[in-house]
Amino acid sequence: MWAVIKKEFKSYFYTPIGYIFIGVFLIAFSISFYFSVVGYGNVNFEYIYYTLPTILVLAFIIPLLTMRSFSEERKTGTEQLLLTSPVSITKIVLGKFIAALFIVLITELCTFMYFGILCHYGVPKLTTTFATLFGFLLFVMSYISFGMLTSSITENQIISGIISIGFFIITWVLPEFNTNLESYSFINMFYKYTQGQIDIGDTITFLTFTVTCILLTITVMQRRKLVK
Amino acid sequence: MIEVKNITKKYGSVTAVDDISFKINDGEIIGLLGPNGAGKSTTMNMITGYIEPTDGEILINEYNIYKKPKKAKEQIGYMPEGVPLYSDLTVKEFVTYMAELKKVDKKIRKEKINKIIEQTGLKDVENKLTRNLSRGYKQRVSMAGALVGEPEILILDEPTVGLDPKQITEIRELIKELGKTHTIILSSHILSEVSQICNKVIIINRGKIVAIDTPENLEKKVSNNNSIYVTVEDNDSKMDTIKEKIEEIEKIKLVKENEDGTKQYVLESKADIDLRKIIFSKFAKENITIFEMKKADTTLEDAFMKLIEGGEK
Repeated sequence: MWAVIKKEFKSYFYTPIGYIFIGVFLIAFSISFYFSVVGYGNVNFEYIYYTLPTILVLAFIIPLLTMRSFSEERKTGTEQLLLTSPVSITKIVLGKFIAALFIVLITELCTFMYFGILCHYGVPKLTTTFATLFGFLLFVMSYISFGMLTSSITENQIISGIISIGFFIITWVLPEFNTNLESYSFINMFYKYTQGQIDIGDTITFLTFTVTCILLTITVMQRRKLVK
Repeated sequence: MIEVKNITKKYGSVTAVDDISFKINDGEIIGLLGPNGAGKSTTMNMITGYIEPTDGEILINEYNIYKKPKKAKEQIGYMPEGVPLYSDLTVKEFVTYMAELKKVDKKIRKEKINKIIEQTGLKDVENKLTRNLSRGYKQRVSMAGALVGEPEILILDEPTVGLDPKQITEIRELIKELGKTHTIILSSHILSEVSQICNKVIIINRGKIVAIDTPENLEKKVSNNNSIYVTVEDNDSKMDTIKEKIEEIEKIKLVKENEDGTKQYVLESKADIDLRKIIFSKFAKENITIFEMKKADTTLEDAFMKLIEGGEK
């Protein structure tokens, strides 16, 4: 599995995708930082994570991270090399998932420079900061696993990307219109983390969703052996 | 050793491979022949575990590829059709990735990778991205990927397709060389290649095995008569009546008239009779001068065509 993680991780930087993900997120983050810190004199680090620019940008850059993972392998045929190697499908799927997660972790680490700047001007709360980073990881993880699932069902990465963006926007916007769905909204759950509450129920929801998507991806890959 | 037992692959109502069984012993080089869409690649994909058959089982050195995929896949080096490569990796990175996937021991990995790169003649391009390589080199990279991890069995899907004649000879030499230490299955539609390299041929048509035999036996099987080509100078037109004079001749046909006045005929006899001696003595008596005489070889190509056509009728 380590081989898959290593190669996938490197691939993110051989192609511009890794740089785009980190770069674009940091730009959005900087914009939020400017308005909240310079504009309002706010020193809450966690607040910057939960702003319109950062969330909006995530809808488009998360699919960028996942849309290639299986679609491209299938299209170029390299899937044949991967699936005939003595590495199990479970490990391949997990390897790709973990590699994408590493990119997110790196992004989180990069945002720490803003934390440093904030420390200079005030005292940001450390506990809420960590709750936010943890929540952000869970939040993004859910969408990454969903994006990988879409990538495993089509050999066209554009289709995979569009489905992932659509899913993000629907889960974001729909609860705004229907109050019944509010408690199921990933964004609302993430909001609680930025307030410093680590809710067990929410954490389990995020994890369950992620695990389900990963299991479905594995199933799709295994089933495809029979119909391909 | 590869054992394929009654495998069938169906896509909806279409049967791509229909109840195929064969056995390949260690050290054999097997050629899988068949027209396009016969089921060669499907068969290979099933042996490598890339796709699962609808029915039947495949044993690789006694490991069932679907029940013990890890063990079975470790025995196989696979070079898929169309040589898929990771275009954003360099040659060395690609081979390294393959080595890591195949769990080559870390201590000896570097050394093994270098050895394979040398062996496949990739030393000069080892730091180039695979997408910038020519077709011939890509083929070798793919071959290197299959060789890494020292699998006992090599499965090569159309290894020489799209190469120039020089590269074809090089790849063939490489396969022959590898054949000394590996069990190889290769598919091809270049028949001369198969008869040169392989010690056994499996001909597949429409998902069914039409024949399994050595190339020589296949050639013999289809030649039910002996044909001799003779070029003669026959000024008295004695060739018209020669059939009555030599009773062994079953059929005589004019092939062409040459510019210098000589004529080429093809004479057929039963399989167990060699006409050449008779022709030599009788023609001399009849005052027919022989300029050239040769036995027509039945080629694997003839065998192939006959078997395929026979199957379709």
